[in-house]
Amino acid sequence: MRKGELSAIIDLNEDDAALAPLTTGRPIGTLPFAGRYRLIDFPLSAISAADIHSVAIFMPRSARSVQDHLRSGATWNLDLIQGGVFMFPYVATRDYNDASLRARYYEDYMQFLRMSGSRYTVILGAKNIANIDLNAVLDYHRAGDSPITAIYKTLPVTELGAQELTLSLSELGTASSVLPLSARHLGDAAKVAAFMDGYLIDTPMLIELLDAASNGASFRRMPELLRDAVLANNANAFEYTGFLARVTGIQQYFAANLAMLDDASYQALLYSSIPILTKSKNEIPTFFARDSHVVNTILGTGAYIEGSITHSVISRNVLVHRDAEVVDSVIMQGTKLSIGASVRNAILDKGVVIGPNVTVAGTPEHPVVVPKNATVYQSIEEVPA
Amino acid sequence: MTTEMLGMILAGGQGTRLGKLTRTTAKPSVPFGGRYRIIDFTLSNLSNSGVNTVGVITQYQPLELNRHVQNGASWGLNERSAGVTILQPYAASDGEKFFEGTAHAIFQNMAYIDSYNPKYLLVLSGDHIYKMDYRRMLAFHESKKAALTVAVMPVSKSEASRFGIMNTDDTDRIIEFEEKPAAPKSNNASMGIYIFNWATLRKYLADSNATDGNLEDFGHDVIPAYLAHNEPTYAYAFHGYWKDVGTIQSLWEANMEFLSPNNPLNITNRNWRIYSQAEALPPMMLTSTAKVTRAMIVDGSYVAGTVDHSILSQSVKIGPGSVVTDSMVMPNAVIGKNVRIDHAIIGEDAIVGDNGEVVGTADDIAVVGYGEAIGRKEKA
Repeated sequence: MRKGELSAIIDLNEDDAALAPLTTGRPIGTLPFAGRYRLIDFPLSAISAADIHSVAIFMPRSARSVQDHLRSGATWNLDLIQGGVFMFPYVATRDYNDASLRARYYEDYMQFLRMSGSRYTVILGAKNIANIDLNAVLDYHRAGDSPITAIYKTLPVTELGAQELTLSLSELGTASSVLPLSARHLGDAAKVAAFMDGYLIDTPMLIELLDAASNGASFRRMPELLRDAVLANNANAFEYTGFLARVTGIQQYFAANLAMLDDASYQALLYSSIPILTKSKNEIPTFFARDSHVVNTILGTGAYIEGSITHSVISRNVLVHRDAEVVDSVIMQGTKLSIGASVRNAILDKGVVIGPNVTVAGTPEHPVVVPKNATVYQSIEEVPA
Repeated sequence: MTTEMLGMILAGGQGTRLGKLTRTTAKPSVPFGGRYRIIDFTLSNLSNSGVNTVGVITQYQPLELNRHVQNGASWGLNERSAGVTILQPYAASDGEKFFEGTAHAIFQNMAYIDSYNPKYLLVLSGDHIYKMDYRRMLAFHESKKAALTVAVMPVSKSEASRFGIMNTDDTDRIIEFEEKPAAPKSNNASMGIYIFNWATLRKYLADSNATDGNLEDFGHDVIPAYLAHNEPTYAYAFHGYWKDVGTIQSLWEANMEFLSPNNPLNITNRNWRIYSQAEALPPMMLTSTAKVTRAMIVDGSYVAGTVDHSILSQSVKIGPGSVVTDSMVMPNAVIGKNVRIDHAIIGEDAIVGDNGEVVGTADDIAVVGYGEAIGRKEKA
């Protein structure tokens, strides 16, 4: 294996209950985004841009969509003869009360880390949509005193839910703990250091942590071990200042997509020095018919538009027939809107069919979600509370 | 190693009739239809026809073409011990191997062909827009026990004098070949697609090289020689969309035809996809001032102006107040504010400054070359 400075771990086992039904058959990591991407493209693109050669992906329960998207990893320059993508399957039957089986959980990580030969390891999740320069994080880490660095962004307190994790920053700029917002004594602070589920840690130390945990009396998962490590060592706190969208629920997911219609956000996230790479599909160009009317919208390829679309995000292969209308909505791949259909404030998952003259309308706070492959022949209207 | 049918794409021509568009690149790598390059059609046809071993013969300005084709993976042409090989002229102990013509280019790459020892050699051009199943043509070739099969396409009588015309008997056997005849006897135009029995062709080319070396070009030399020696030579009639995009006018027309949802090329058919090498670009954005009708647009494009009956390729920017009609804009072109573009082809990386005008007519298409910048104009 080619020895790189950095290796990376992406854990796709993220709590996705708040995103049902979008996450019924997929993890947060493969949620479609901006008509073009899957959320996992963001950590993988950051990894690719930092020239990281060894990446471990810890697969979620529903791994099919992840496998299908990643394939050999070639999209992110990870189809290497040395290193590459290492996928670790989800083991549903593993009994973590059994010490010998528990040890295997840690052994997966340790095997990968030892083989990678890396000096540092980056650990990322997929639910924070951002464009992180990992080389800058590495420089910051090397300049800091602590063997672990946590990544955060300063956000208004009002943007965070009670259970979301934050960093307690000391006056020296280090993080002394990772705590849910509800456990913090905020006083009258208007802003808070929102933790972005991202660490950079000395690989030998991470191996030690895992080794110790594997001999421990109780089962502790990786995120808990890392939070303990912050508590024990006072992490270097790296402040990220770029575009960030946190996909913690349906409303946030909806808003994150529509945020891409704002030119500044679109440019900041998608046109920075780190190109966002995604699996390329050989779709034909998107066709706009004679009577189409499309404004303030981003679209993938392969779509065929006869109707009107305003302020929406349209994925590839979407069909919008004549007299159909889409406003303030997120439409995923392969969805069809029949003649005269009307969709407002809605998220239509992949392969949805909206019947002729059917209305689907939510509110900005409560977008209607139509699950994957559903056919809708009766209007759905969310009445504003 | 034996391959039943080996594909050879002749992609070395200069394409002088494309003027500014091929000054720094080979014709097969000229962008087409928004997200393709011309050679994608031939490469995809090969892949879809199960011809998995392909040589691409290059000579003129091959850089962009090499970058595009790479290892053929984008077309699924990267199987082990098969795949795409780029063949460039090289110096050898018996002299430099620059190509003097289509047949000569095949002769110069005999070592490559022999290494696969194919039964049949499929010779193709890299500059045609069409979808064709070469397996059907091979079945025809085998059923006729032919030494050479030439794919032909019916063209109108008025056009026939621009093509090589194959006159056949009732069994489709070619009895006469006329190159660009003033008074054509039939309308079977050669499409520049040939299936040869390699052993026979090899002998002809080797003999020619050992004697007078006069077999340089397939149309001009080899087909007449086959006919003169009474080799079984047949015409395979192709019925479908086929367009030679060798001139500015035909390139523009093919793009405009491509734009029609009723185009017989049937680009939406997912069972015969046209593949291309594509970089991952952000989704296209149409701003609040965009007005887009009868248009094709692809990833990375940013439209704030009006686009009607036109094709925009990857990462094209159209500023507010600009109007693009009946035109084809190639990748990475930047169109400023209040620009008027009509009946035009805008080359890759070209820039048209604010208030600029690029206006042609249906018979005289305006062209902005690769990387060319048309200056900003002050409003009169």
